Amino acid sequence: MSTIDNVSPARGRARLSGSCASGAALLFLLAAFALLGPVLIPADPAAQDFSASLAPIGGDYALGADHYGRSLLARLAHGARLSFGLAFLTMLAAAVPGVLLGLAAAWRGGWTERLLELLATVVLALPGLMLVLLLLAFSPGNYGPLFLGLSLTLWVEFYRVTRAATKTVLAQPHIEAARMLGFGSGYILRNCVLPVIAPTIATLAAFAMATAIIAVSTLSAISVGLQPPTPELGSMIVELLPYYAEAPVHVLLPAMLIFLLVLGLQLVAEGDRA
Amino acid sequence: MRNFLVARLMQAGIVAMVVGALCFLLMRVLPGDAAMRIAAGRYGPDARIAEAADKVRLELGLDRPVLLQFLEWLGGLLRLDLGHSLVTGAPVVDELQVQLGASVWLAASALLISLLIGPVIGVFSGMKPGGITDRTGLAGAVVFRAIPPFVLGLILMFILSKQLGWLPPAGFGSPREIVLPALTLALGLAAMSSRVTRNSVAAVARTPYFAFARHKGLPEAIVVRRHGIRNAAIPVVSYLGLQAVYLVEGVVVVESLFAYPGIGHALVHAIVERDIPMVQGTALVMGLMFVAIAALVDAISLWLDPRFGRAA
Amino acid sequence: MNMRAGIQELSISALAVESAAGRIVSDISFTISRGRPLTLLGESGSGKSLVAQAIMGNLPAELLATGKVLLDGTDLLAGSPAERRARWGRSISLLPQEPWLALDPTMRIASQVSEVHRFLKDRDARRSRQLAGDNLAEVGLERAGELYPFQMSGGMAQRAAIAITHAADVDLMIADEPTKGLDAALRDSVVARLRQEVDRGRLLLTITHDVAVARALGGTVGVMLDGRLVECGPAERLLAAPEHDYSRALIAADPQGWEGRAPTTSGEIVLAGRGLAKAYGERLLFADLDVEIRAGAIVAIVGPSGCGKTTVGNILLGLARPDSGTVERRKDLSPLRYQKLYQDPPAAFAPHQPIRKGLVDLVRLHGRTWIEVERLLARLRLQGNLLDRLPNQISGGELQRFAILRALLLDPVFLFADEATSRLDPLSQKEVIDFLLEIVRETGLAVLLVTHDRHLAERISSRIVDLGGAAPLGYGE
Repeated sequence: MSTIDNVSPARGRARLSGSCASGAALLFLLAAFALLGPVLIPADPAAQDFSASLAPIGGDYALGADHYGRSLLARLAHGARLSFGLAFLTMLAAAVPGVLLGLAAAWRGGWTERLLELLATVVLALPGLMLVLLLLAFSPGNYGPLFLGLSLTLWVEFYRVTRAATKTVLAQPHIEAARMLGFGSGYILRNCVLPVIAPTIATLAAFAMATAIIAVSTLSAISVGLQPPTPELGSMIVELLPYYAEAPVHVLLPAMLIFLLVLGLQLVAEGDRA
Repeated sequence: MRNFLVARLMQAGIVAMVVGALCFLLMRVLPGDAAMRIAAGRYGPDARIAEAADKVRLELGLDRPVLLQFLEWLGGLLRLDLGHSLVTGAPVVDELQVQLGASVWLAASALLISLLIGPVIGVFSGMKPGGITDRTGLAGAVVFRAIPPFVLGLILMFILSKQLGWLPPAGFGSPREIVLPALTLALGLAAMSSRVTRNSVAAVARTPYFAFARHKGLPEAIVVRRHGIRNAAIPVVSYLGLQAVYLVEGVVVVESLFAYPGIGHALVHAIVERDIPMVQGTALVMGLMFVAIAALVDAISLWLDPRFGRAA
Repeated sequence: MNMRAGIQELSISALAVESAAGRIVSDISFTISRGRPLTLLGESGSGKSLVAQAIMGNLPAELLATGKVLLDGTDLLAGSPAERRARWGRSISLLPQEPWLALDPTMRIASQVSEVHRFLKDRDARRSRQLAGDNLAEVGLERAGELYPFQMSGGMAQRAAIAITHAADVDLMIADEPTKGLDAALRDSVVARLRQEVDRGRLLLTITHDVAVARALGGTVGVMLDGRLVECGPAERLLAAPEHDYSRALIAADPQGWEGRAPTTSGEIVLAGRGLAKAYGERLLFADLDVEIRAGAIVAIVGPSGCGKTTVGNILLGLARPDSGTVERRKDLSPLRYQKLYQDPPAAFAPHQPIRKGLVDLVRLHGRTWIEVERLLARLRLQGNLLDRLPNQISGGELQRFAILRALLLDPVFLFADEATSRLDPLSQKEVIDFLLEIVRETGLAVLLVTHDRHLAERISSRIVDLGGAAPLGYGE
């Protein structure tokens, strides 16, 4: 839930650039599947066909069908689009205000900073998932509180990192030098601050998306997130779980997809900080 | 020392306020008359529902101004009175006591197992950065972090209980039943702490003071014992503070998954059933658990590092 | 003076250090005997620290030392790494550079000293504590045993490191840049302590880039350049009449040897501070301070670290506010014509921006032409190919000249040089100072020079303001 991973300093140097490239390739393939899949695959992810219940892989259905006889390929494609899209929107909704407020706090200091710090402390007082759960209590199974809760917890990380990094940059002599040479705040922001914090923000964005994907699938799996029949990867796993003995691979497919999505994002994030 | 105590007490206060305010808001915005709903929940829908609702309204003070109600809730909190469950009718505090014990056991076991795995792998990786252990550890950590806890739990459940039949898949009562959920949480925790330990050990090994301890002529074992362990432990311990988030969140997920009767399980149930006093009570206790872990980490950091909180 | 029984001589012949890419250090030969310490003098990258590491036996694994290093007949290079390590703390000890980083941050000083007695000399805990107390008392730290390194000043940390080497009580002591990061007063006190080690009969090898350290230690001086010992001889002779061109240049670069070069003429007042006072918390930095800087003059502010020298300059430039007093500048001049040079040149440039980009933007911002830049490049002897590098890819001296160039583009009337040469090698320092003096003479630029190097201040400034009166707390030297 929280993007605490990124506080740990850069990990082993071995294979870093390689990991970034493989992560990007993986993400590209998954994004293509998520974006093009729902368009190209004619099957309706909600269309039931009880005669095809738990159809095997490679038959009439490329990746088989679930217990209601729904095409797993179509459901996976829609699930991937849902996870990816929701994670991306959540990340944007967290990153944009987080970065802007972080810049504002570092730049303005004083009361602006103190108020924002207080706000961040309040949000961080509770583990993120708890906040999301509390908001979900308002209307379980809906996108709104899920999206709101996740963004509400994730923006803090963007805010704190941006603020800390910007403050460090602003305290350096070259900023004072640039001001003395007559450069304005816009120039300093564009040329001295943003290039320094951008890679960190990118890493954070990848982590935030990974966090969001895990959170959405987890909450759906414990039946407080999105509800069936929405083709959500987490709830697909739980729905298929009782049929594990007959169709083990069917259960593993959505789990594998979540794993690959998160893995791709984490590999990209790891590579970014090389 | 006092500063940290004050900061953590303040955090506890904020937790109470946030949980309280959200639950309070929840009570107000849910469709329908709160008293009516509670009465229906408590006594079942029957002819005398309106009468019962009036009783509830009076009992809960729902007819008074909002602010006053909120203040009363706070007062109740101070007296450890969290109201009654809308589902079972039992006092929330009584239910929480049982569940809290179960959750604390789970969290403590998970933490213990993770400490036996993560830091040990981390130390071996950090002593030889780039070596076989380090690379395997990195790959393992990346993979385990990419598996959502609930998927990891399902995988373990299938391997350890369905396939091998070693452990019961769910439930509570015998120590064997705590193993699966605890292991699920521990593997996730260990994946992260192993890398933090590795980096910390590698960083300490590169410091001038570690080199100077060797140049003094101290035997390697003494160098590691006196100048390595404590310094390398500092970032690991403060990271454990951050892991408190993962632990508390993980408890919610894993308990629900394994039907383990702890606070997290109760919270999810309460949300599904809209049992607001229970939502409030469980969320409050979990939030306070988080604060307690953070406070414990503060205390250990203070003991380990004389600079803690002074340099900043 | 109680002379010790023990090792008499360290003799090195044809020492070389090789990496996979080739020789980095070659053909080093010298002898250190009792009462005659040896000081290796050279700039960063000259290989002098590698010589020390080869003797100590702690070269990085990818480097290999060959030749002979004889400590009273025992070849230190011959043994296995374990045998070499067994000598640490028993016959050789290393005084670390930047001791505030070499002390364990989470252990009290007394424990860091007593562990040498406890684990090296196998004494019991009580006796070890007693002896550690004695070692600390010898360097005047008898009351600091319970402190942690972060509670000590740089000078105290340096003395604690010396106390640790005393505890080991060895015959050969290697001091690697022992004065790095210390101001002049602390430097002198450290050198005096090293001199005491020599008087007690220890063999001492010192690595430094500071000619003043070599002069104060006496004995033998070796000058290193590009991994070779270009000259080696008695300090009195070599420092007074160096033979090799490089040694001559290096020694000439030491401000102590300069003749007075202060500008003699001066014009109207460009900037003045009247009755300035500033305190940090409880501590008063200065009060009732008057400074006047006239066109074409150089005013120097000297004093130990932490005395508020830089703050004076920043107040005059309007970068800091005084607690009381006023600053007067000429109202008819743009604030852009008041500029500053920084202590750490790489920190004064945006780290990811090639030099050219910064200059192009500056030229565009102020409507200058690139021709002016090119003229200044030639004038400051800066090669055009440096323009496309990042700040951390060029040397400190070159970077500081780019900083001067950048300031000169704005046609400055006042320049605040904040320890602008203290992190540079001696030759680069001289070069930067020479340019500065030329510019002052030609353009009538007014300069405020903040430095801890009194010799430098005395040689080039028209007037010196000494803030050294009240030594700051914690610097109880």
